[in-house]
Amino acid sequence: MKLTRRNFLAWAGIAATGAIACDLFDDELRVQSPVDIPEDLVSGRDNWYATYDASVPGGQGILVRVMEGRAKKVRGNPRFPTNQGKQSPAADAILQSLYHPDRIAGPMLRNGPRGAGQFRPISWEEALNRFNAAVAERGDRMLLITEPRPGAFARICDSFADAFGGRHLAFDTVDDSAYRHAVKDIMGSDGQPYHDIANAETLVSFGSDFLSTWGNPTAYSVAYGKFRSGHRGRHVHFDPRYSMTAANADKWLPIAPGAEGYAALALAWTLIEMGLAEGDVARLTNGQGAAALNAFRPDAVAGALQIPDAALDGATVAQFFAELASKLAHGGLAMGGGGAAGAYSNGRFNASAALALNYLLGNVGQPGGLLPAPDTPIPGGIDARPAPLSDWQGVASDIAAGATRLVIVHNADPVYGLPARVGLADALSNEAVAIISASPFIDETTAMADLLIPDRAALESWGDDLPDPMPGHTVYAVQQPVVNPLSDLDPRSFPDVLLNAAADLGQGASMPADSHEALIRSNIEDELGADFTEALQNGGWWNENSAGSAPPPASGLLANVAALAAPAAANGTGEFQLLPYPHHTVLDGRNAHLPWAQSTPDPITTVVWQTWVDINEQQGRRMGLREGDVVQITGPNGSITALVYLNPGMPPGIAAVPMGGGRRSGSAYATDRDARESSNVMSILAAAQVDGSGGLAWSGNRCSITPAGDSMAVAKLEGDYTSREIGEHSAELVFKSVSEEGSH
Amino acid sequence: MVVDLDKCTGCQACVVACQAENNIPINTKDYFLQRRAYEWIRIERYWEGEYPNVKARFMPVLCQHCENAPCEPVCPVYATYHNEEGLNVQVYNRCVGTRYCINNCPYQVRMFNYWHPNWPHRMENQLNPDVTVRSRGITEKCTFCVQRIRRGEIQVEARAGQRLDDNRIAAGNYDPACVQACPTSALMFGDLNEPNTAIKPYFDDVNNYPGHHEHERETRGYRLLEEMNTRPSVIYLKKVDQYPLADKGAH
Ligand code: SF4
Ligand code: SF4
Repeated sequence: MKLTRRNFLAWAGIAATGAIACDLFDDELRVQSPVDIPEDLVSGRDNWYATYDASVPGGQGILVRVMEGRAKKVRGNPRFPTNQGKQSPAADAILQSLYHPDRIAGPMLRNGPRGAGQFRPISWEEALNRFNAAVAERGDRMLLITEPRPGAFARICDSFADAFGGRHLAFDTVDDSAYRHAVKDIMGSDGQPYHDIANAETLVSFGSDFLSTWGNPTAYSVAYGKFRSGHRGRHVHFDPRYSMTAANADKWLPIAPGAEGYAALALAWTLIEMGLAEGDVARLTNGQGAAALNAFRPDAVAGALQIPDAALDGATVAQFFAELASKLAHGGLAMGGGGAAGAYSNGRFNASAALALNYLLGNVGQPGGLLPAPDTPIPGGIDARPAPLSDWQGVASDIAAGATRLVIVHNADPVYGLPARVGLADALSNEAVAIISASPFIDETTAMADLLIPDRAALESWGDDLPDPMPGHTVYAVQQPVVNPLSDLDPRSFPDVLLNAAADLGQGASMPADSHEALIRSNIEDELGADFTEALQNGGWWNENSAGSAPPPASGLLANVAALAAPAAANGTGEFQLLPYPHHTVLDGRNAHLPWAQSTPDPITTVVWQTWVDINEQQGRRMGLREGDVVQITGPNGSITALVYLNPGMPPGIAAVPMGGGRRSGSAYATDRDARESSNVMSILAAAQVDGSGGLAWSGNRCSITPAGDSMAVAKLEGDYTSREIGEHSAELVFKSVSEEGSH
Repeated sequence: MVVDLDKCTGCQACVVACQAENNIPINTKDYFLQRRAYEWIRIERYWEGEYPNVKARFMPVLCQHCENAPCEPVCPVYATYHNEEGLNVQVYNRCVGTRYCINNCPYQVRMFNYWHPNWPHRMENQLNPDVTVRSRGITEKCTFCVQRIRRGEIQVEARAGQRLDDNRIAAGNYDPACVQACPTSALMFGDLNEPNTAIKPYFDDVNNYPGHHEHERETRGYRLLEEMNTRPSVIYLKKVDQYPLADKGAH
C-alpha cells in the first residue's frame, strides 16, 4: 500500500471511528452471485495497531491487523523510519510465534533428569515462590542471560542483577564484536553507523551480507531499491562467499577469506595515488600520503586477495582498482567489514579498513555517506549489546568454579549457539547450578532448566528498542501489546516478574519503575517529552533533526588501521574454508520452530527445511559428489553432516553452511529432521577469538569434507533439470545492458 | 502489475506476505519433495555463467492475469473466468478439480489442493477471514488479493459516504500483500483503468511495440512468453547489467 502520511492518517481515522464494512449502510444487502468469488464479500471490522518486532536483524516497525481479538497479518509501518512500510522476509512469522502449538502454556517444574525436557505444570504462585527463593538465596551468584535489547528491558535486567549482586549478559549467536569495536575506536559511538545507500552513486562493500542478515537488511533493501531507481547506482562487492549480497551486486569479486581489509586499503591507496580522495589525506596519513599504504598497493596485495583473473574482465588487479576508484570518487560509499568479514582473527582490521575508507572518501555525515550513530535518547541505552566470546568463556569457568549458582535465561540460547568447545552445556549440566528459563519456547538452553516461567509473546507484550543501526537520526521504537494471550495460555511478562520479585525481596527501591509499561511510559513522557498515546499510534518516537556527529578522524587513521593488518588465522585443517552464515529466515536458529521461516526458500539455493553445504559445482563433481549426498564436515572441534548443494557460484575451496539447523529440543518444526539433513554448524567451530575484540572468529575455520556414503532428496523450490528462463527471451536477453545515464 | 527485475533481490518477503494474507497451507518438507508446495508467488532463481563470472538472477512469478488467458476456456464448469476489472478469478465453489487449467497455464502458477488444508492447534487463529480456505480437490492461485480491493472499496465508500462502482477505486488505496511487503519496491501495482497510474507507461510501451518490435521499446518492459499472445497483466522490466558477462551461458 502506497500510503503517504496523510492518507494513512485518513485510513487510521476510519478504523478508529469504526467504519462499518458492509452494505447495510445503504439499507441494502449485496447478494452473492454464484459466479462471484467469495472474496468479493468481505465482512468484519479490522484494526491496525502499530507495534515493533525486535526479533529480526535491525528490528522493524510493524502494523498488526487485529480482528475480534486475533492478530491476522503483519505489515511494515509506513511511518517507521528504518523499514518505511516494508518488511523483512519472514515478518509474518511473528504471528506463528504468537499462535504456535508448542508455546509453553504456563509455569512448569522439571521432573526428570536435567536436559531430558520433562516438566510438570505448576501454579504461578508456586513458580514465583520458587523464583524468589532462588534469587534470595543465590542472587549474588546470579547470571541473567537475555537477548540483546537496549531500552527499558535492559535497564530492568541490569537493575535487577545489580540489586542482588549478580550479572546480566546479552547473547547473540552471530558475534559482531569486532565491528562494534572498530566503530567505537574510529567513530566513538556504541551504536552502528548507518550507510546511506539510497543517496550513494557507487557502493563498494566488503564481506557483509547486508541484503540478507547484516545490519538492518530490510532498511538497507529499501535503500537499495532507491539506489537502483533513477540514477541507478553501481555496486561492487568483495566476498569469499557467494552470498545474497554478492548475487545482487553489479559486480562480485571473490577474494580469499579474511582478505576484506586488504581490498579496502588497496582501494584507499589507489584513491590517494590517483588524487581522487576527497577526505583530508594529510591528516589521515600523518602527511605521508599514499606512502602510508605502500604495503597495500593492488599489485602488492594481489597475492593475498586471490581474485581470479577471469573475474577481472581482462584487467589487472591494479587496473580494476583504478577503474573502481575513479567511480568511487563521486558519491562513493564503502560498507561492510562486519558480520562474516569481522569474524576472522583479523576481523578488527577488516572492519576498521572498511570504515576508514569512508573518511578518505570524505562522505562521513554526508548524504550518500556513512552516517554516525546519533546519541541515545533514553537512559539504559546501548550497554545491552551482545557479550563477546571471551565473556562466555568466563561464564563457563565461573560456573565450574562455583562463582555462578543461578542462571536465569530469557530468549537466548547460548547452549545451542556457542561452539561446544566453550563448554557451556557441560558447565550447566552441573546440578549445583539452578537454571530458570523465561523463554516462551523450549530450546536447547531452556530444556536444561529446572523452572520455566514463560514470558508473553512479542505481540502480547510491552517493549521498546533503540534500533541499531539508526537511520542517521534518533529513533525510539515502542512495542505495545496488540492482543491478549489465548485462554489456554498463561504466560507472564518477564520484566514484570523481575520487578515484582525485586519488590517482594525488599529491593523495589533499586528498580527503575513499578512495571515495564510504566518505565516505557516514563521514557516517552519524561525523557523524550513526547505524548504517550501518540507514540503508541506511531509505533515510536523519532527526531529527524538529530543527526549523529562523529569526532574528526584520528590523525593517522589510515596508518593506524594499516598497523592492524594481519592475515586471517585458520583454525583447524582441511581443504575447505568453513564459512557459516546466518540463514536468511531461520537466522541463527531462533526462528527454527516457525514453519514460515523454515519453508521460505533460501534465495540462492532455494533449499527449505534442511541444512546443506554449498560447494562449488565443478569442485564437487571432481570429488564425485552429487546433490543430496550426505557429507561429513569435520571442523576444528568435531563433525556434523549436511546435504551437498552444488553451487555454480560458490568459489572452490569454500564450504558454506547455514546456521539454524540441528536443534534437538523443542518444537517438531525445529527438531523432526535427523542429523543427516539438519545440523548445527556452530557446534564444531573452534572457540577462537578475534584479535583485540574477544569476539568469536566464526568465519576462521578450516574443515574437510568426506562422503558419508548416504544420500537424501534435497527439499527445494528449483527443479532438478537445468532451467532456462521462461519466455521467448533466453536469459541473456532478459537482462539488458544499459548505459551509465540510468534506466527507465 | 509491474515487476522490476533490476530491483528484486530475491528476498522472499513477497512470498511469505502472500502466504500469510491468503491462508496458504504450511509448506512442509514433503510438499516440496513432491513438487506440490503452494506458492502463489515464487522467486525463480536462474544461474547465468560459471564461477567466477556467475550471476544468480531472481524473477518473481505469479499469476499473470492474462487478457487471453489459456486457463479459462478449458474449464468445463467455468470456475475460472475474467471479471469486469480484468482479474482472472477462480470460483472455488465451482471448481471440480479437473486440473485442465493447470495443464494449460504456461506460467505454472496454478496449484492443486492435493491435501485437506491443516493448521496446527492455535495457528488457525491467524487465518484471514476475508479469504476462503480452499478444500482438498480444487485449484487455487494468485487473486491479485481481490479481498483487499473489495475492502479498499468499502473503506473508500464509507469515507466518501457513497457507493462507487467497482472500477473506481483510486490507485494507492490498496496494494496486494506482496507489493506492500517488497522492501525494494520491485513490485508495483495499479489499476490500468485509471488514467494516471505509474505503471501505465510501461504497458503502453509494450503494447505499442509488440512481438518482434520489442527492440524499439523505450522502457525495459516485456511480458513473459510474449509470443504466446496471452497478453499478461504483468509487465517485467529487464535487469540493468553494468558488468555484462562475456560468455552468457544460461542454465
Ligand atoms: S497479488 Fe496477492 S495473491 Fe497475488 S501473489 Fe501477490 S500477495 Fe499473493
Ligand atoms: S519482496 Fe520484492 S525484492 Fe523481495 S523477492 Fe519479492 S519481489 Fe523480489
